[in-house]
Amino acid sequence: MKTKHFYSYLIETSDIYLELGELDLTSEERVRLISIVDANIHSVVIKTVLSNLPAPDKKIFLKNLVSEDSDKIWEHLKKTTSDIENRIKKEIEELKKELYKDIQEVK
Amino acid sequence: MPKKKKSFHYEKLLKKWILKHKKLQKEIFETHQDVFDWFENNSKQLAVGSLAGVFMLTNPIVPKIPTAFSSNSAVLNQSIDKKVFLSYDLKNVLPQQVQPLTVQEEKNVSDILTRTYGIKVTPELNGIRLDTTYGVIGQEQHLARYPGDNMYVHFDSVSNAQSYFSYGMAPGLGGFGYFANSQSAMTKEEEDREKYYIAVQTFLAPGFYENKQEYLDFFKFRKMLVVNPQNGKAVIADIADAGPAPWTGKQLGGSPEVMTYLERYDGAQRGPVLYFFIDDPTNSVPLGPVGL
Repeated sequence: MKTKHFYSYLIETSDIYLELGELDLTSEERVRLISIVDANIHSVVIKTVLSNLPAPDKKIFLKNLVSEDSDKIWEHLKKTTSDIENRIKKEIEELKKELYKDIQEVK
Repeated sequence: MPKKKKSFHYEKLLKKWILKHKKLQKEIFETHQDVFDWFENNSKQLAVGSLAGVFMLTNPIVPKIPTAFSSNSAVLNQSIDKKVFLSYDLKNVLPQQVQPLTVQEEKNVSDILTRTYGIKVTPELNGIRLDTTYGVIGQEQHLARYPGDNMYVHFDSVSNAQSYFSYGMAPGLGGFGYFANSQSAMTKEEEDREKYYIAVQTFLAPGFYENKQEYLDFFKFRKMLVVNPQNGKAVIADIADAGPAPWTGKQLGGSPEVMTYLERYDGAQRGPVLYFFIDDPTNSVPLGPVGL
């Protein structure tokens, strides 16, 4: 089963995966690229959250992040930031556009 | 020849995306260095338990990304891979619009699903079929399982209650009445029948009104494989209600548990699923999510 992150419900990556499916790749290559897509999404989400938090709350966020308690993470984020879900979604969409473009370029 | 093309795609994307990832991580570390220093100095006291979280946040160099996601990455990779192949296979055989499939399309999809999940599926069983096997799914509520069932006794764990309480309970009974006569008489199978139920448009099935009782007997708790073709998630569900009304633009409905597992939503984000009968005369296929 794919690793669940606190933001998993905000992302829809099947379109990127399907585009990768159209390239002539071995299954290992495809899986590795999918992993890097996930790693990039993870970084974009962390970057977005940290950039929207005041210093003391960044520490709380990291503590909550390693506890893998999604409810706790969201409870804290919603208390300390405004509209964070939409900001995350927007950044992920931007990244997806870039990744999609990258795939088109190698086709 | 194909090998060369394959390597070209892979190498180019790999290089580009790893670079992108490194750049992102560098930016994160440089901008928030103070908090990462604090995190590193206090990591023992924080009882760090997340491999993904720690690795992804503390190591700006990513030598081997797949291992950052799971200590059991081989199993994980296989699972992702099968879902990707399934999505790709289905994309090639499904029409662009959500609509009833042709006989050939149904055969192609049945073959893919049977091969992927190892469960024999079919669009038609005992001469009975629904009016479509590819439709938009909507959100249903919980159903009363026995007389006296209500939202405060409905869940078997606190976490399930937290996840699914908000969906509420339908005011009426499911299309086939209660699942059990009483709480004490309820079996695990009956519990699962409510948990993983779907509502389908039984009343639109060809021949329904000419053979109503026969069809109702057939549909009652009939198992179907329900698949989200966009992410490869699948669940064995049972028919426990009739609906939705044709004017809704939806062709079937899923229980809160079914919808959550399939990652399908109602409203503007609603999407399609494939639903095929399972030929399970010995009742050996359990209800619930199907792993890959």
